[in-house]
Amino acid sequence: MTTNVPAVDTHVAEPTSGRKNFLNCSSGFMSWAGTLDHKRIGLMYLVGVSIAFLCGGLFALLVRLHLWSPEGALFANADYNQIFTLHGAFMVFLFVIPAIPGSLGNMVLPLMLGAKDVALPRLNLLSFYLWCSGAVMATLAIILGGFDTGWTFYAPYSIYTDKAVVSIGLGIFLLGFSSIFTGLNFIVTVHKLRAPGLTWFRMPLFVWALYATSILQVLATPVLGITVLLVAFERLYNIGIFDPRLGGDPVLFEHFFWFYSHPAVYIMVLPAFGIVSELVSVHSRKPLFGYKLIAFSSLAIAIISFLVWGHHMFTSGQSTYAMFAFSFLTFFVAIPTAIKEFSWVATIWKGSIALNSPMLYTLAFLIIFAIGGLTGVILGALNVDIHLHDTYFVVAHFHYVMMGSIALAFFAGLHHWWPKMFGVMYNETLAKIACGIIFIGFNTTFLPQFIMGSRGMPRRYATYVPEYAPYHHASTIGAVILGLGIALMVYYLVASLFSGKRAMQNQWGGVTLDWHTPTPPPLENFDHSPSVTTEVYDYSVLDLETTRTPAS
Amino acid sequence: MSHDGHHSVVIPAPGPEFQSHTVAHHFDTPVQEFQSAKLGFWLFLATEILLFGGLFAAYFYYHQMYHETFHLGGQQLDWWLGALNTSVLLLSSWTMAMGVRSAQTSQKGKLLMYCGLTVLGAVIFLVIKFFEYKAKNEHGLIEFAHLFDGYNGATGQLSWFTDHDGVMAGVPHGHLFFAIYLTMTAIHGLHVIIGAGLIVWIMKGAAKGRFHAGYYLPVDLVGLYWHLVDLIWIFLFPLLYLVS
Amino acid sequence: MFVNLFQDPVNAAQGVAESVPQNPHAPAQTIDAWGQLPKLASTFGDVDGLFYFTYAVCIFFFVLIFAALLYSVIKWHRKTYDQPAASNVTHNTPLEVVWTVIPLIIVMVMFAWGFKGSLDMTNVPHGARQYKATAKQWNWTFSYPNDPVQSYGELWLEVGKPASFLLESTDVLHAFYMPSMRVKRDVVPGRYQKVWFQPIEKGEYHLFCAEYCGDDHSKMYAKVHVVDAVEYAKRPWDQWDDNNPAKGGESRYKALCSSCHSLDGTPLTGPSWKGLFVKDASGAIVGGQRDVFVGGVKETITVDDAYIIESIKNPEAKKAAGHEKNAMTAFPNLPDREIHGIIEFMKTLAGK
Ligand code: HEA
Ligand code: HEA
Ligand code: HEC
Ligand code: CUA
Ligand SMILES: [Cu+2]
Repeated sequence: MTTNVPAVDTHVAEPTSGRKNFLNCSSGFMSWAGTLDHKRIGLMYLVGVSIAFLCGGLFALLVRLHLWSPEGALFANADYNQIFTLHGAFMVFLFVIPAIPGSLGNMVLPLMLGAKDVALPRLNLLSFYLWCSGAVMATLAIILGGFDTGWTFYAPYSIYTDKAVVSIGLGIFLLGFSSIFTGLNFIVTVHKLRAPGLTWFRMPLFVWALYATSILQVLATPVLGITVLLVAFERLYNIGIFDPRLGGDPVLFEHFFWFYSHPAVYIMVLPAFGIVSELVSVHSRKPLFGYKLIAFSSLAIAIISFLVWGHHMFTSGQSTYAMFAFSFLTFFVAIPTAIKEFSWVATIWKGSIALNSPMLYTLAFLIIFAIGGLTGVILGALNVDIHLHDTYFVVAHFHYVMMGSIALAFFAGLHHWWPKMFGVMYNETLAKIACGIIFIGFNTTFLPQFIMGSRGMPRRYATYVPEYAPYHHASTIGAVILGLGIALMVYYLVASLFSGKRAMQNQWGGVTLDWHTPTPPPLENFDHSPSVTTEVYDYSVLDLETTRTPAS
Repeated sequence: MSHDGHHSVVIPAPGPEFQSHTVAHHFDTPVQEFQSAKLGFWLFLATEILLFGGLFAAYFYYHQMYHETFHLGGQQLDWWLGALNTSVLLLSSWTMAMGVRSAQTSQKGKLLMYCGLTVLGAVIFLVIKFFEYKAKNEHGLIEFAHLFDGYNGATGQLSWFTDHDGVMAGVPHGHLFFAIYLTMTAIHGLHVIIGAGLIVWIMKGAAKGRFHAGYYLPVDLVGLYWHLVDLIWIFLFPLLYLVS
Repeated sequence: MFVNLFQDPVNAAQGVAESVPQNPHAPAQTIDAWGQLPKLASTFGDVDGLFYFTYAVCIFFFVLIFAALLYSVIKWHRKTYDQPAASNVTHNTPLEVVWTVIPLIIVMVMFAWGFKGSLDMTNVPHGARQYKATAKQWNWTFSYPNDPVQSYGELWLEVGKPASFLLESTDVLHAFYMPSMRVKRDVVPGRYQKVWFQPIEKGEYHLFCAEYCGDDHSKMYAKVHVVDAVEYAKRPWDQWDDNNPAKGGESRYKALCSSCHSLDGTPLTGPSWKGLFVKDASGAIVGGQRDVFVGGVKETITVDDAYIIESIKNPEAKKAAGHEKNAMTAFPNLPDREIHGIIEFMKTLAGK
């Protein structure tokens, strides 16, 4: 039997307190460690990436404290270099790439599609364990003497340094395959497991975004895999292709690295776009403005992003033609993104805007991403980038997009689906306060970095010319504020698990399929296989009763 | 926990020597299961090709840069051993295809035989590869005993490349060709070993009667993998052996 | 370790100047009239023009978006739980065309302007003076046109004269970066790179290494003096005083050796120079005893001038015990008088 969605679903409306859901249907270590359920795997990812984020954040705090004084406050130069490398590598490879697809994507994508699970559940568990082994290798690398190459592993320094580069390289190889398998799984799931009636253009935009991300993951990550392997081979048996002493070309390494790592920044950001698309619609209770354009622009970004990697290498001595092409195409990426940004604003315009914590994080995203993205566009301009390359301007740009946008979108999504996942609500007042602190702390940290960057402060500097000290002071103070905000967030989220109020079946009044299963969802997601008969984001059929019925 | 209301689909065994197959709980139909796995596997093959793509890119870059080195390096390889290996792999691709066919037609004995032949092909390939490596070792082009001894910046001496017959003298960075040769063929060889392992695993399942006309998905996928291994070699052979 | 955290930055900076003598900071840069970039001291004004143009574009769109969000939130925030959206419009083709085309036009302007500016940076004018900058972990060496004398960690240029640099690295990647001149170029080992600019303003400027190159990347600094023709003609980079070779030796030590060799016994990448020469009972300066590895065999030798010279030109020949795993970059081209000066400087350390 099938129920039409979103007609009134009596199962949802009547809370059967104490019914079995995916959290309490079984217990014991193996019921988690060996689970094939996408929601449990998603939760394990959530724990993993959160720990990685806090570790990365701790390294960031050390970086900021060290930079309090011009000659470096805490460490010897060599140690500082390890700390910022660890910070970048943890944040990028262990946190921001897997964060949204691994945790929220895993949790929500099958729900949104009306499927019982992802298409390849065993592969999904394997992805998670690959992530774990990558994390273990990274930790091992720290024990084996750390690594000090920067997250970019530029040759030949990465070949010559006496640190544990092989270990972290293999770790990244494993993390790469974790990412590939997640992407592969999502592509198959979207193609094969959509509920009846869920046509491509009825898919929620979070699904579209994850789909575009997955394509990038599958097509770009293998190149990173072979690149880190080649660096490991250089160190093991001097293959010589990146080593100038042996006739190799270090610039080739840069091409290899950025061929992956530029698409990778969209691997990071597209899922965040998906969350934001979803949230502006639900919390404005309004269909998305320009749904199809947003969906297609994700694909456009995915495709163009393969052709712009050279904009990280404008000072490396490429040919004029290459510079021309890379700069030109870089500007083209900005157009589909601009379309998205404007469409989100237009969605909020004349909506019914609920100022709850997920929406506050979303608004923060929209503001911060505008700055982060537009400063990216500045960097795409050839001659300006020559001045700004490898300065704190770039550091500020990518923190605006990676911390200010992606991490905040991740927090937004976390707050949005938290009641869905656990059936409990966190303390909304604290959540709003934390969001404010994080917003203020974030901007205090990174706005000064734009200024010192345009004045020439190079990045990866353990010591610096004293004229930059005031900006570093502001930045360090901001980072501490930011850290307090995040600590507060961690506190109330964890506390809600123990003493949180019961959430509603449909806490925010969403109409996509994820809000049409009981809260929290049962093991196989739906009591009845759903089918879809209405257009996506059609709030006229929203059953407000479900927003006031407590979760089971 | 109960799968309340959901009945798992079961594909019956075509005969007593076969086993039935239960479709995974989250699929509605066997076709959905088959197509999902197949699509996933094709995507995986794409990543494999891209992984090798990185190596090919490096190959072409340095071929362009050090033309003579690659020319001369190619001459040091036994092209007829390479050709022999190419035919071995092509033949094994055929036996693998026949194996898949046998699974689709529920011919248990033939499936086992063809898989066995394919594994034999893999073994012959590896033996020939071993003798090639051995020859390189003897000429000091790739000295496996010193592979990991490193590079001495002061003397400019690379431990594993001594070239004591001087065959690469006069061209710049003679070791580069052999480094790329070794890396590509070793990674490919690893794929051959993994593929052979998978086929042995298929044979174990086949012996138990798991694969038949109703369910031959794993055989099909391993077959695809084996063709990929073959395909990559088809590219490696002319690039490495026939450059000159 | 936390002490520095609470130090006054200005004093701390003086601390740097003492403890890191190879890092003589030029006076702070002056900022241009618009308040963002260091005052332009070369002819690459397109960078500034485009920078401020895009800056304005950024501010415009930021204000636009911020204002739209603020207005929406104030005007249409949800007052009752069942409040529907004020409008359900999902398309507005003219609007969508506008917000696609306007950014497109803006970015194309930026592209063209940026490309033109970068072409200027690649086309070296005829008659530019040809300098050479050699980067190695972690210092800069400069060669002047038709002049055998090199300078270390400091560079002199003549105002108004285009200067073109051949960039060379002997180890890893570095980058030649002068914020005031708006130029940056990676220094790639195994490749020769070029960078040029025309200084138009006298003064002292920063030259940073902008590509991460290992431990002391942040100390790979050079001070650039842009001087007038009269001053330049005096060859200010030639500061060697044959009457006081130890002084010259000390300056070379600071520029080239101090990143790896301490004077007070602290082992760094290389052994400390303390004890290379010692005073005997009569107070005369004689060579100290050193344990070294020759071809892997340990020997004890007495330090003499020949040993020092060999250590500088061919450090692999005898490796100082305790540091045998580390490599020293060789300095085969260091002029004899400078090697002599360094040895004289080492001798002044005897007995300290
Ligand atoms: C998820 C991360 C992410 C994202 C989304 C982006 C987005 C963009 N990035 Fe960024 N970038 C990084 C992460 C990211 N970047 C990182 C990590 C680095 C440094 C790596 C390292 O060296 O360590 C970097 C570095 C970097 C460089 C190299 C700088 C250098 O080292 O010299 C460049 C140069 O072109 C660039 C450009 C861009 C552009 C054009 C976009 C565009 O996609 C932005 C598009 C967005 C907008 C345009 C804003 C929204 C639109 C409007 C508000 C409407 C108005 C728009 C217009 C008028 C155009 N980035
Ligand atoms: C997703 C990616 C991501 C994220 C989220 C961040 C987050 C932060 N980053 Fe990071 N950063 C990178 C990716 C990221 N970074 C990368 C790729 C580099 C380049 C590395 C390289 O050059 O190789 C870099 C480099 C980098 C630098 C430049 C270093 C240099 O060039 O020398 C700096 C300096 O300020 C910095 C600061 C910060 C700060 C303050 C945060 C903050 O947002 C962090 C916030 C988190 C916390 C503050 C911790 C959480 C809270 C607790 C643990 C509780 C306890 C705390 C308190 C009670 C205070 N980062
Ligand atoms: C990159 C680091 C580095 C730099 C820069 C460097 N050295 Fe060294 N030096 C070393 C190391 C490592 C050793 C020990 C190994 C050896 O003897 O080769 C060493 C050893 C020496 C020795 C032998 C010392 C002894 O105790 O026996 C002398 C003399 C010396 N260096 C002189 C110099 C001079 C002069 C310069 C600058 C012109 C210089 N070094 C710059 C790393 C460096
Ligand atoms: Cu040299 Cu950084
Ligand atoms: Cu990029």
